[in-house]
Amino acid sequence: MIEPQLWVSVFEIGSFFSLIALAYLLILEGAGFFNFAIGPYAMVAGLGTSWLVIEKKFSLIPAVSIAVAIVLVLAAATEVVIIRRIRKRSGGGDLPALVAVAAVVFAIEQAAGLSFGRRPLPGQRLATFHRFDIGSAIVQPTSIILVGTTLALFVLVTLWIKTTATGRSLRAVGDNSGAAQLLGLPVGRIRLVAFLVAGFIAAAAGLLFAPKAGVSFDRGLRWTVSGFLALVIGGTGSTWAPLLGGFVLAATQVFVPYYLGGAATDYATLVLALVFFAFRPQGMFTRRVRT
Amino acid sequence: MRIANEYKSGAVSVVGAVLLIVWVGSNAYRQDLFTLAATYALIGLGVYLPYVLGGSLALAYNAYAAVGAYAVGLVSSKTGLPVALGWLAGPVVAATIAVVLGMATRRLSGFYLAAVTLLFSTAFGTWLIDTDWIGSSGGIGGIRPLGLFGWQPTRYQFVVLSALVVLIIAFLVDRLRMSPWGVVLRTARSVPLAVESAGARVPTLNLVVLAIGAGIASLGGSLFATSVHGITPETFTLTIVFLSLFMPLIGGIGTPWGAVLGAVIIVELTLNFSAFSSSGTLILSLGVLVILMVAPRGVLGYIDTVRKRLMPDASAQDGVR
Repeated sequence: MIEPQLWVSVFEIGSFFSLIALAYLLILEGAGFFNFAIGPYAMVAGLGTSWLVIEKKFSLIPAVSIAVAIVLVLAAATEVVIIRRIRKRSGGGDLPALVAVAAVVFAIEQAAGLSFGRRPLPGQRLATFHRFDIGSAIVQPTSIILVGTTLALFVLVTLWIKTTATGRSLRAVGDNSGAAQLLGLPVGRIRLVAFLVAGFIAAAAGLLFAPKAGVSFDRGLRWTVSGFLALVIGGTGSTWAPLLGGFVLAATQVFVPYYLGGAATDYATLVLALVFFAFRPQGMFTRRVRT
Repeated sequence: MRIANEYKSGAVSVVGAVLLIVWVGSNAYRQDLFTLAATYALIGLGVYLPYVLGGSLALAYNAYAAVGAYAVGLVSSKTGLPVALGWLAGPVVAATIAVVLGMATRRLSGFYLAAVTLLFSTAFGTWLIDTDWIGSSGGIGGIRPLGLFGWQPTRYQFVVLSALVVLIIAFLVDRLRMSPWGVVLRTARSVPLAVESAGARVPTLNLVVLAIGAGIASLGGSLFATSVHGITPETFTLTIVFLSLFMPLIGGIGTPWGAVLGAVIIVELTLNFSAFSSSGTLILSLGVLVILMVAPRGVLGYIDTVRKRLMPDASAQDGVR
């Protein structure tokens, strides 16, 4: 019997990874590219809130609002100021945008280190109620909020994509923005909405996950890579795919160190990535298109 | 005239290197700064080849440099062989790693290569700290000085030697860029379909160039470890990957000499210029974003534009390039 407490960890980490992957997926659908700045967005939300509360003595609600607002501004700026202009000039091709995003990742990380300090801060608990036990496992309130919010966000995003006009145009814009433009869809606005929604989801992920492990300015890149991997494992065929990818990755990262020692996590993650990239880069869920 | 033009940036760089060496003199701090700039320049040149010519972005250059450094360290501590052997072994190992990582993602978009190389760099860093026979977190110290056929360079001679290594590699990379192979490579970056249908295998081309780039970056690590006589797992961090990605962009992507210039600028901004010491890396990354938007060809490209504006007849000569 595997420790129930480990399963609680899988649920927490899995929820976090799948939220990051969901944010990736939205930008991939809406703008047709992988925004590696998702991890740093999450880091800014977590670290910014903790810094405002601990160092600047803000109360929780204003601190959270300010941090989330900063992330939304960052997400919008990534699209409007940088990606859109570089894509327009380079005329397609991933490389210039990829390099620009790498510079954005580095810039956000360094700016956060400079303004929020370079030491790790504990995450802020959004609510405190009594912990409860399932069998021998202890479930903290923060875990319940994290898992609950994750499920709620996945339901909301699925509904948004299925039922609203903007949601449905998202895929049209991401698949072929030229054709979408010809059809009269507001391409620029839809892309911006995709970045904002993804920024919000990333912010929520960073905020809710920070209490588990704390947060520091250099966490963003690790989160970015984990989220990307979760997205690749899950696939892009459904809005629920990131959830599966996130949990598979989380299970690897929880159980491998338990059986093989701490250092094995990084090796296992690399092997998982190599296997999926080499043999099943489309992930577990793929979309079947009638031709 | 064309030949003269081709070698001009090389000649300017030689003059620049000589001036820098004169400035360094016998000042120990400046000597360290210089060998660090040479290390960065080699890593930058390693990034330049696959990134600018081949259009693929790998992010494991800190690991490749560490491979070069540890190769020197292991040859020194585990064998009685000359340290220079490490300089040869490092690039081979780094190139092999680059090929394996490239193979896994060779049919996928650049984002996958970036992700898998980042994961490798993380895993490799953990492995260095975790493995006892390579010194775990303490690394390898007391590396024997470089000896070439009985001749042992002094500190100052080593500075000149590292300048020579950088100049030669940059010259070779530049020749490679202008060679028929380089032209195929650059064509494959912009119109892969045309090159593929002409019979050249684009994925193989990319793998080869990734391997060469990793080898050059690994030389940078060997140079550094030889210079400071030691290596630890923390020497080559992920920050260096980003800095090395910025070097060609800052200096200018038109020629490999841009990567060398970028390395010198980065060492100056992050280490030597005290006003920037804490925020140097932030200013750099913002600067790179501005360069990407305003002057996509970097400092050298910008100088070129200004030169052409001042001397309109100069542009006619390099029209073909």
